[in-house]
Amino acid sequence: MNDAIVTALTDYFPYLGPEIVLGVAACLLFLGGTWRIGRHLWGSVALLALALAGALLAWMPLRSFAGESAARASLYAAPLIFDRLALLIRVVSLVGGAVLVLTSWDEVSDEQAADYHACILLMVAGINFTGMANELVTLFLSLELISIPTYILLYLPRVDRPAQEAAMKYFLLSIFSSALLLFGFSYLYGLAGTTNLPALIEAFESWRKVGPLPGLALVALVMVVAGLGFRITAVPFHFYAPDVYQGTTTAAAALLAFVPKVAGFVALIRVLGFVLPALPLAGTGVLESRPTFSPPLGDQVPFLFWIVAAVTMTLGNILALLQDNLKRLLAYSSVAHAGYLLIGLAVAPRLTPDSTAPLGGVEAVLFYLVAYGAMTIGVFAMMSALSTPSRSVETVDDLAGLGRSHPLPALEMSLFLFSLIGIPLTVGFVGKLWIFLGALAVPAYADVPQTLTQQRLFITLAVIGAINAAIGGWYYLRIVAAMYLREPLEPLPRPQVRPVRAAVLICGLITLAAGIYPRPLVRAVQAAVARPAASEMVQAAQEPGR
Amino acid sequence: MSALVLYLLALPLLSAILVAALGSGRGPLIRWISLASTLGSLALAVAISWGFIDLPRVASADTEIPTFHPEMVTRVNLVPFGDGPSATGIQFYVGVDGVNVWLVLLTALLMVTAVLVSWTAISERVNEFYAWMLILQLAMEGVFLSFDIVLFYVFFELTLVPLFFVIGIWGGPQRQYAAKKFFIYTLTGSLITLLGVLGVILTLAFEDGSRGKLTFAIPELVQMVGRQNRELPQDIHDKEQALRAARGAEGQAAARDLVRQAQEKLDHWRRIQFWVFVALAVGFAIKVPLVPLHTWLPLAHVEAPTAGSVILAGVLLKIGSYGFLRLCVPLAPDASLSFGAPLIGCLAVIGILCGSFCALAQDDIKRLVAYSSVSHLGYCMLGMFALNEVGLSGSLLQMINHGLSTGALFLLVGMLYERYHTRKMADYSGLGARLHLLAVFWVFIAMSSIGLPGLNGFVSELLVMMGMYEFQSSRVYGPTLAVLAALGVVLGAWYMLTLLRRVFFGPPREPHHGGHGPVRDLNGRELATLLPIAAACIFLGVYPRAFIDTAATDLRVVAHIAAEARNRDGAMLASAERNRAPEQTAQAGRNNAP
Repeated sequence: MNDAIVTALTDYFPYLGPEIVLGVAACLLFLGGTWRIGRHLWGSVALLALALAGALLAWMPLRSFAGESAARASLYAAPLIFDRLALLIRVVSLVGGAVLVLTSWDEVSDEQAADYHACILLMVAGINFTGMANELVTLFLSLELISIPTYILLYLPRVDRPAQEAAMKYFLLSIFSSALLLFGFSYLYGLAGTTNLPALIEAFESWRKVGPLPGLALVALVMVVAGLGFRITAVPFHFYAPDVYQGTTTAAAALLAFVPKVAGFVALIRVLGFVLPALPLAGTGVLESRPTFSPPLGDQVPFLFWIVAAVTMTLGNILALLQDNLKRLLAYSSVAHAGYLLIGLAVAPRLTPDSTAPLGGVEAVLFYLVAYGAMTIGVFAMMSALSTPSRSVETVDDLAGLGRSHPLPALEMSLFLFSLIGIPLTVGFVGKLWIFLGALAVPAYADVPQTLTQQRLFITLAVIGAINAAIGGWYYLRIVAAMYLREPLEPLPRPQVRPVRAAVLICGLITLAAGIYPRPLVRAVQAAVARPAASEMVQAAQEPGR
Repeated sequence: MSALVLYLLALPLLSAILVAALGSGRGPLIRWISLASTLGSLALAVAISWGFIDLPRVASADTEIPTFHPEMVTRVNLVPFGDGPSATGIQFYVGVDGVNVWLVLLTALLMVTAVLVSWTAISERVNEFYAWMLILQLAMEGVFLSFDIVLFYVFFELTLVPLFFVIGIWGGPQRQYAAKKFFIYTLTGSLITLLGVLGVILTLAFEDGSRGKLTFAIPELVQMVGRQNRELPQDIHDKEQALRAARGAEGQAAARDLVRQAQEKLDHWRRIQFWVFVALAVGFAIKVPLVPLHTWLPLAHVEAPTAGSVILAGVLLKIGSYGFLRLCVPLAPDASLSFGAPLIGCLAVIGILCGSFCALAQDDIKRLVAYSSVSHLGYCMLGMFALNEVGLSGSLLQMINHGLSTGALFLLVGMLYERYHTRKMADYSGLGARLHLLAVFWVFIAMSSIGLPGLNGFVSELLVMMGMYEFQSSRVYGPTLAVLAALGVVLGAWYMLTLLRRVFFGPPREPHHGGHGPVRDLNGRELATLLPIAAACIFLGVYPRAFIDTAATDLRVVAHIAAEARNRDGAMLASAERNRAPEQTAQAGRNNAP
């Protein structure tokens, strides 16, 4: 084995504390699952493992390097990288994991609790590795670390036919998408001769300087986008979402709405070079993450995202209008939100150093991922909290009159729904504001006529987004209207104080706090994707060959 | 003094939380708390306007780029963008100026009446009702007081949620549909407005050479637009001078190139201004509402409970016209003149006439009043797009007057409905003989709404028409619009007097009202809701100067901006004329040649 890799591995091992804890805890849970002890113990173990992982992460958040050469060596050799983007993703996934454990606490039976929570822990570790991946093979393995537990999760809780069908559907399509992704990766490797992401992207950039990209590169890129498009439920890879969400438990649907989406977007950001780990600025010794200003993998990628974004949000919103089943509705809503997120990615490479500095595609995407996670998991968790084994909340009609019979849950639910609409003072508004700001901030230069067309295209995209947000308002409002303006058809039982309420509370706090005072979250995201300081940007803009 | 403005925003919020926490069982306590809160707000608003009138207000110098100068300002950075000394951000930036001080007062006054009029009418889910009403008050006052464009938008959109619940829960039989239609209609518009708001911020960040420095404060944005509007034509002028001075073929070509570039830059700027105007205007036009976009209004008005109708007509519609005045015209003056004045002027006149005719055709009293709203707001928009000081002050006064008289009309409709449970005109006859006080107030408010001299409506409609009569541009002939609008006054008198005749005069005949006990005339609570409004109507009718003088400094800013746009428009036409003239002579020369 290569010496550099060996040292890199030994150097990096201590920083993987959180993931090691998660893995060990998952193994313990799988082993312990053979004893029937009850779900409370296993849930507590999972929460404890997540808390321990969080503590370890806080203890050793970022790796600092003694010198530039050491940093450079690890940048081009290490399979994992500990830059600021990775840190943000790890924090988000740990918090998200804890909320998901709380959401599924009472939904899983005593026999299955251990396995279920173990799967969640593995998925959290998978997201973490996706965030840290610096290499194609690692990235693929991280994504599989998320997929394989998902199959088990879908099979575990329900044994009826729709559940089996959902799990089977997800399994087959997921395998198919993994194959596509791997196919794309193999082309990338064949073209660049390396699996290391920074080296790969540099190779592409050097080709771009001499001429158009080879046709194979485009094939590879389309394959990668298609493979990851399944995970982020982009149209036309969204077909499974409504059936699978409907066929599984509420908590598992929450998980499906959040985990693959985060992983998919992070993978897209990493593979397509939207954000590159960069050498430390000065004195800090910590790897920064820098957004790239021209699409390193070709001009066609943003255009591809443009089309996918427009189609995804429009189709998602229109189909969501027709749904009565809450899970199907939320599945299409998740498709629509994937469209909004894709606006951010489409725009990201166009926001050159000349454009308004503090706005950006990738930052907006990361912010929106957190926002989306909080509000969507919140809705699912509330549904789960209102359900009992004998009576589960499935359709809009089940929620009728909730405002009368359950004032507080109805209020929390409407908070999430208004956030999904994008009403101010919720995190959803800030997220949409930022996404639209990015789309409208694409600069145009009078001397490059192409940029004028681009500007117009992205303004059109922002208008499509705004119209979609209004369409989206209709179906979310339907739920609010059902809760407050209709009489209860069949009153739901009074909800008990259960762990799932804690999940709702966390989501509600994030939704409201980051909506009223978004500054901390904005700062965190901006730190994760460090834009160069203004002086440096001027230099970058003046560099020849931009 | 600036603390008073903060109290004005904090009081409804705290009271709403308190009221919501009390639970629906404690009706009387909740009512008294809400009344105390709204009375407190009214006292604060009076104190603010009192203090504001006393403030020495200096008109900005002519050389300075005109912009708003709010007083009693609070500025706190909420979301910073960028680092270092040039960092700007979304701010909590509130203040008072001559434009919003009266609207704040109007809001506070109408909220008191809204609480009083719901005293017995709302008996279910009392705590929720008053909590939503108080949050609505917060949002409305926030819209008027904001001087940060994003903060403005936040409050603007926040008005939707409380009113959705107020209409949807406590409204009439079709309340669900009305609430949803209202919400979605307005949401669509305001999302387009959001794009306009973002467009303003971003184009200025690029155009001003400020390298990504984002400005969100409305006064500064207005100033930046003004600077661009002055500098870009000046730039062309300078370049043309240079062209004339240029020597040699090469020098001339280079100079011509510079002129062309400057011209392109100006064209680009104008195009952007046009789209900014369109985007901003859509949301506000829905809120006002301007005529093709008004279909949500009659439904929402008719279905809303009385307090909701009063607030919807009295204050919420003003948010749209206020948006035009505060954002649309100052931030896109050229587009407002060349595109807005013809389009919105015509739509306003169509609205005046169409609203009046629709009102004439109604049998439902509430629906009649709702359509009269469309007509009255037409005057407001017409005056605004006269784009001169007279028209603007007429427009602002019309906002207040409409709030007072239409708000009062909805109160009166509510009082009638509470007594007889019908709103059909055909069910009533000769009520004047039965309910003396109510009839007196009906006649009085109707006169104010018609615009009887000596009452408030007269002054504002007169000012609006005077303003429009003076208005002239290359594309609109103001007097035509003014004359057409004057027809609306006649129609207004027609439908209002018809209403009075059918309901209050003629042979006395009461509608059936099984089991409600004897119908009594106005009680003390109802008098307390109507008297202040009636007093304000007389005051504004007799002594409108108090109002006009206070607002003049700030309205002059808008008028000044518009006047500059008019000068530019004139200069552009003149230069186009000049360019055409040589062509024509050349053509004539060619024609004569053979």
